[in-house]
Amino acid sequence: MRQLTWIIVAWSMAGLGSPLRAQLPADSGERARAIHVLHRLAYGPRPAEVDRVVAMGVEAYIAQQLDPARIDDGVLEARLADFVVLQTDTRTLAALLRGAQDERREQQRQQPDTGDASRRPDRTPPGANARTLRRRLGEFQAVAVVRAVVSERQLHEVMVDFWTNHFNVFLGKGPERALMPGYIERTIRPRALGRFEDLLIATAQSPAMLVYLDNAQSVQPGATPPRLERMRARLSQPRMGGRRPGGRGAEMRTRADSMLRRLEDRVPKGLNENYARELLELHTLGVDGGYTQDDVQGVARILTGWSVGDPFRSPEFVFNDWAHDRTAKTALGVAFPAGGGMEEGLELLRMLASHPSTARHMSRKLCARFVSDDPPPGCVDTAAAAWERSDGAIREVLAAIFRAPEFWPPEYRDVKVKTPLEFVASAVRAVGGTPDASPALARVVAHLGQPLYLEPAPTGYPESQESWVNASALLERLNIAMALGGQRLPGVSVALDPVIPRLDDPAALAAAVNTAVLAGRGSPSTLRVIAERVAAVRDAARAHALAIGLALGSPEFQRQ
Amino acid sequence: MDTPSIDRRVFVKAGGLALVSLGLDPLFVTRAAYALRREGGPANRKKTLVCVFQRGAVDGLNMIVPHGDAHYYRERPRIAIPRPGATDGAIDLDGHFGLHPALGPLEPFYRSGALAVIQAVGSPDTTRSHFDAQDYMETGTPGVKSTRDGWLNRHLAHSAEHRETPFRGVAVGPRLPRALRGASPALAIEDLRAFGLRGGDQARDRLTAAFEELYAGASTGLVASSSEEAFEALRLLKRIDPKAYAPAFGAEYPTTPFGRSMQQIAQLIKADLGVEIAFADVSGWDTHVNQGASSGQLATRLADLGRTLAAFAQDLGERLANVVVLTMSEFGRTVAENGNRGTDHGRATAMMVLGGGTRGGRVLGRWPTLDPGRRFEGRDLAVTTDFRDLFGEVLVRHLGTTTLGAVFPGHTADVERWVGVMG
Repeated sequence: MRQLTWIIVAWSMAGLGSPLRAQLPADSGERARAIHVLHRLAYGPRPAEVDRVVAMGVEAYIAQQLDPARIDDGVLEARLADFVVLQTDTRTLAALLRGAQDERREQQRQQPDTGDASRRPDRTPPGANARTLRRRLGEFQAVAVVRAVVSERQLHEVMVDFWTNHFNVFLGKGPERALMPGYIERTIRPRALGRFEDLLIATAQSPAMLVYLDNAQSVQPGATPPRLERMRARLSQPRMGGRRPGGRGAEMRTRADSMLRRLEDRVPKGLNENYARELLELHTLGVDGGYTQDDVQGVARILTGWSVGDPFRSPEFVFNDWAHDRTAKTALGVAFPAGGGMEEGLELLRMLASHPSTARHMSRKLCARFVSDDPPPGCVDTAAAAWERSDGAIREVLAAIFRAPEFWPPEYRDVKVKTPLEFVASAVRAVGGTPDASPALARVVAHLGQPLYLEPAPTGYPESQESWVNASALLERLNIAMALGGQRLPGVSVALDPVIPRLDDPAALAAAVNTAVLAGRGSPSTLRVIAERVAAVRDAARAHALAIGLALGSPEFQRQ
Repeated sequence: MDTPSIDRRVFVKAGGLALVSLGLDPLFVTRAAYALRREGGPANRKKTLVCVFQRGAVDGLNMIVPHGDAHYYRERPRIAIPRPGATDGAIDLDGHFGLHPALGPLEPFYRSGALAVIQAVGSPDTTRSHFDAQDYMETGTPGVKSTRDGWLNRHLAHSAEHRETPFRGVAVGPRLPRALRGASPALAIEDLRAFGLRGGDQARDRLTAAFEELYAGASTGLVASSSEEAFEALRLLKRIDPKAYAPAFGAEYPTTPFGRSMQQIAQLIKADLGVEIAFADVSGWDTHVNQGASSGQLATRLADLGRTLAAFAQDLGERLANVVVLTMSEFGRTVAENGNRGTDHGRATAMMVLGGGTRGGRVLGRWPTLDPGRRFEGRDLAVTTDFRDLFGEVLVRHLGTTTLGAVFPGHTADVERWVGVMG
């Protein structure tokens, strides 16, 4: 009886729109499953997309998303041409960064020695290199949002975001501004649905990670780079000393001495355990994965010499033989005999990738992402079993999660609060908006507390909502919702009339936004509030904007 | 709050010994100190700690000038601040140290005992990376990278003394700084006048009411509690009318970003909104090139700092008794000037404590001297006060923290190491 009443209410509230759609409450079988899948495997439904997924079948949609190479993504590809950064290689970006640093130094040099408080160093306009670099990085942040909104390969985009976060690198550290685009495009992106081992090795050898977690600085204690040895040898030769004290020779010698001192200052002096520790704790085994401080040290020693040419000039992976610890080591109970060279590092990474603790840790994290912040144990077991069976094939693990009984029940639907990127992308998708090539929309994401590529901690942004749900961020969401409803959110072009008709009847309008924006998930109280508020506005355009803004800002829209 | 993972992590790091220090929390010393404060009446009034982060590593040696140390003038032929009494000389504090002349506005506070200076403060971690060092200073766990929450947030999470208000932890800026991030709610406010929903006054009120109704009806969990905080904050702010603020006692804030930040913090404090922790950034300290001496780049930044802090103290009037400002910076700079009339990344720096129960009028901290043999790696001012000991002392003696072990996990609080900056 209650269900019948609900159907009648839904019917009457739906007003216009598709009558077929209106007959189906949100939790009716296939339709509810389609909505759930679009919330978890994708950045939310676009107009009419729920119908499309129901028509093709939810299982078929999942299978398609797991095989992105076979999805036509022509619309996105046409858009990508706007982003010069995608055609710019790392060396070019590094040259821009060097140029920007020179410009800054030059500006500081020219700054007058006055105490004029109105002249602040950061107020001088940036130079040409700095401006170009800033534009490229703005494009790079923008393209992440464009892909999340526009790409048909939604699961692939979700996984790129997942791995970007898992193997986090901070754009603000040293040369990372030059390294980040290559890291995401060529290290993460091609492997996002591949084998975990390949991804792990690729990140371990990426200049971005080597710099971010300091492995590039980690050397066998006492080891000296050949360049420094050569310089020392040259200086110890008598001909440079000069016979006449105070003559030109002596001056050259002083200069060479100070160069030597500067080089010695810069040369790394010993073991740096940062990467080794995060590799075990965050990237693979997990904090409970059963390792000790001795293991951290063993891993750090095995990876000595894994470095970067010159992060500002030739930012490529190098193995520095001189920096490598050649003695025998032990890590996680496995002996690595002396003289293992670079190969022992690869062996270690393969071992970590196939370790049961890694399977468990990663399964938990994937279930937290796709099912619930506090993932049900059954889901983690299923995923870990698939991980072991497939030797860490990410696609297989995901397929297992989507087949797991824990993925589907109503109590796990709408329980995850959208991250800032998920909120912005899903809002733009819900109203059929198109992001432009400017960084404006990426700035909107940043304002909500998770600026792209700018999380300093190696944990990445946490998977749980506590880190991004707070009062100021929530108010910001409401502002974004209202701006989008009013078609004035920077960075998006949107035509709302074709998506949500301008209806005079407040209840009908509320029902229409419920269908279009909330995929039918609006509670009776939400629909009542929207209808009442809309009824108080006379102007049809403003009522329309208000209804959409309230729906996008409603508690229901914050969840997925 | 992420303590479980921190505990485990510290355990791994120090082979189990560190757990002892965590297990002893709260320490009897902290309790004793707290009990002392509590007995006095004023401790029950709302206390506020304002943290000012000088991002970019301030040159502590030109901010608080060791004019009595001969090595200072030897190592800085072109950028040293002249001795007190000379033209544009330092403002003498205690015969050995002096304020940079651009910090002149702070001199009266030093003389009256409201301002203390601590020299040679820094981190036990020796990184010279801005990013790593700022991160360590904000998480309060030097050397441990994956700590998720900041020390100020852990303080808020662990001290349930005060009524929860949405303004308990506030940062002025577009986002919460690391130090304030974590399980305890905190607000990032870029501009008080623009905080909340946008629109003209009437439209804004209607919209706020609409959303409040939406959230009242339909939501539970964190989204619900955040929305309650948000609407509560809006109600409180409406009462104080941020647009009409005029500083008291003729205080004049510089029209700089830092000046505006501190003015907003003063406004929140004076409105009795229950601010316990406030946080503001002041940037531009990375003076590698042409940093200047008594005038120039660094002097310009210091003038902003000094004028703003003086205006803030003046504006607060007698409320300053309940407020402490603590300045901090990720590290100091090289003792010797470099080839570009600037300074490079070093180790220890100087910090300042202003207001409240500060036992000011003194330069505190053990001075390691600039003797090359006493420097860190022969080049930098050595660290003699762990920043956690300074921050910890301020937390305990000003805010009455009883859970220092949780605020600085892995670090044993020890009154012996406190510099005695407060009562």
